[in-house]
Amino acid sequence: MTSPSLAEARELLREFPVVDGHNDLPWALREQVRYDLDARDLAGHQNAHLHTDIPRLREGGVGAQYWSVYVRSDLPDAVPATLEQIDCVRQLLARHPQDLRQALTAADMEAARAEGRIASLMGAEGGHSIANSLGTLRGLYALGVRYLTLTHNDNVAWADSATDEPGVGGLSAFGREVVREMNREGMLVDLSHVAATTMRDALDTSSAPVIFSHSSSRAVCDHPRNIPDDVLERLPANGGMAMVTFVPKFVLQAAVDWTAAADENMRAHGFHHLATTAEAMKVHRAFEERTPRPVATVSTVADHLDHMREVAGIDHLGIGGDYDGTAFTPDGLNDVSGYPNLIAELLDRGWSTSDLAKLTWQNAVRVLGAAEDVARDLQATRGPSCATIESLDG
Amino acid sequence: MADLQDDLHTATELGELDDLPESLPEPLPESVPAEPYAPVADPGTSPLERAHAILGVHPVADGYNGLPWALRHLPWYDLELGESAVDTDVPRLREGHVGALLWSLHLPEGLDGDRAVGATLEQLDLVKTVVRAYPEGLRLAYTAGQITDVRHCGRVSVLLGPAGAAALGDSLGILRSLHALGLRALTLTGATWASEAGLTRFGEEVLREMNRLGVVADLSGASADTVRRVFAVSKAPALCTRSAARALRPHPANLPDDLLAELGEAKGLCMVPLTAEQTGPTVRDVADHLDHVRRVAGAECVGVSGTFDAGTAHPQELGDASCYPHLIAELLRRGWPEADIALLTWGNVQRVLRSADFTARAAQLRREPSTAKIADLDG
Repeated sequence: MTSPSLAEARELLREFPVVDGHNDLPWALREQVRYDLDARDLAGHQNAHLHTDIPRLREGGVGAQYWSVYVRSDLPDAVPATLEQIDCVRQLLARHPQDLRQALTAADMEAARAEGRIASLMGAEGGHSIANSLGTLRGLYALGVRYLTLTHNDNVAWADSATDEPGVGGLSAFGREVVREMNREGMLVDLSHVAATTMRDALDTSSAPVIFSHSSSRAVCDHPRNIPDDVLERLPANGGMAMVTFVPKFVLQAAVDWTAAADENMRAHGFHHLATTAEAMKVHRAFEERTPRPVATVSTVADHLDHMREVAGIDHLGIGGDYDGTAFTPDGLNDVSGYPNLIAELLDRGWSTSDLAKLTWQNAVRVLGAAEDVARDLQATRGPSCATIESLDG
Repeated sequence: MADLQDDLHTATELGELDDLPESLPEPLPESVPAEPYAPVADPGTSPLERAHAILGVHPVADGYNGLPWALRHLPWYDLELGESAVDTDVPRLREGHVGALLWSLHLPEGLDGDRAVGATLEQLDLVKTVVRAYPEGLRLAYTAGQITDVRHCGRVSVLLGPAGAAALGDSLGILRSLHALGLRALTLTGATWASEAGLTRFGEEVLREMNRLGVVADLSGASADTVRRVFAVSKAPALCTRSAARALRPHPANLPDDLLAELGEAKGLCMVPLTAEQTGPTVRDVADHLDHVRRVAGAECVGVSGTFDAGTAHPQELGDASCYPHLIAELLRRGWPEADIALLTWGNVQRVLRSADFTARAAQLRREPSTAKIADLDG
């Protein structure tokens, strides 16, 4: 699919490159090669193994990337593993100084754009990475982490996840203190993955703009990982942004249904739905042969953006592809080189260049800068919180 | 924080090693000719007055202080005006002429397992919070050069460390992250790779990575095999943050004479703790240990550690951070030359930290961050 607007899209991205909210490259490097970065040299094409490498980031017009320092929420050593993930990002920066620049502030992002380097930020994916400790939260901030997703797929003791049973019913008292302390540090509150109740509690609590690092619209495609309209409607008042994700099983209703059926089929055969043993994969492949997997396209993602724009407004949108964090990607957005196709599609739908500059670059820079301003104000009025989960949640 | 700034060194490709950048620091000459020491105290005055005069110019760099853990359980404290609940506060540091001190991040028993990494992050955060709360008295310092700067500003430097080996969670990536957060010393005990049996292969790799980063090895409490292996492998001098002479007092953390002599050859630094348990109950006992270590290891290899707020009893008259002039006066009575006292209090620690910085800068030009895993090396 080549849109006639593609050349215009590339031109636009040269001036206002993409800030992507979520990329799981560090986890892929951990799982595939245990951080042996020589085995996955990002300076060259790694199409066979990864969605992400520097040539394709350049081709895709990426100007800033929040690298996810995600670790699994079902293992006990989340904090040590998170430190290893952070170290991985730092190694990437040290190895590719011509292409990547560490960014800790909105000003750093602009500086990187001016130099033609890719601003590299970090986001931690899940409250389990702070192990119920505000001291650890501040440690992650000091290491450069600029957003924390409050949960991953499982609840934490102080916040409910979108894909778990209701626990504390949104944020607990300690959960609200976590949000306040993030505001004080200048770490963005990321509401992807959390339950709608948590989204609402966080919006009630946060004095800084929030983000959704990789979530789409629930009205367009009914999946718990997406954002309901009543929450999107609150973004203008909050000043935050929703970064649309591309994951087919979240954005395409047919893919949601197909995934549910495939999971049901696995369970019917006595496997866990995420099992990857040889027998399980055989069952899965047989299902896929009987029932072809629906394929999302650039247009699917653009539908979400059109709707989210209507509800939240152009000043509150961004992009969070979730590359290297998902097995399947939409046609035309197969890897990090695909962003120009999305921009071209939006041009065809009548989005103006100034709208697109907000979507790709300006909103994300504004949001991080606003979080810094709030932090500066709060630090003038209060010191670090020494609350504990025991003292607040009993 | 300086460590988080984007450094633009380009990776040196294999095969280009003969073509190292010109900025490679010159190796230090084997022996730097000592500058003649200019005495600062009036020899006609009393030993205590002379001690104050010397310490005014050559303050104490204290090798171990347990304040972080002690403060953690105080609901309220004021280090600026004075805090009687602890042995260390700004007025007493000033009275004792303390110019720099290492704040221990050691964890109590029971926290050194799975929770060690997270608890160490909390300790680092606490130290930073406390130090920032007293900007008129305390400053964080990460290098020997910064310690000098802080002294010129009339503040007391706080260095982060030592932490216990368990804080690494057996991972070099975590070591690098803790270094990025400011950790500058690590005690090589309490991990499978640094045990009674000495350093394993992974343990040696940890040490090489510490050298590359500029994290000083602390050998107090380490087994003799570990101590010897560190002296053999380390490119930078090692510290013993809390070790006295075993010849005078049989405590497991005290060093026997043969190790003291080897420490002297390796130009390490044995920092004698002011604890009754390790040195004895009086100022004279502590001075005996300092005499002994100076005799066996050399005047360039001896230092002091107050070991305040670490839960141990102190010798009489050495009960808090203001006590150092008494100790120095005793050494002057014993005929220590001023030059050796200047080394004991300040110069030796500066040398070790400078050496660590230099070694790290040189190693970073030659070595990539290590990707070794404990499972690969120790299997």
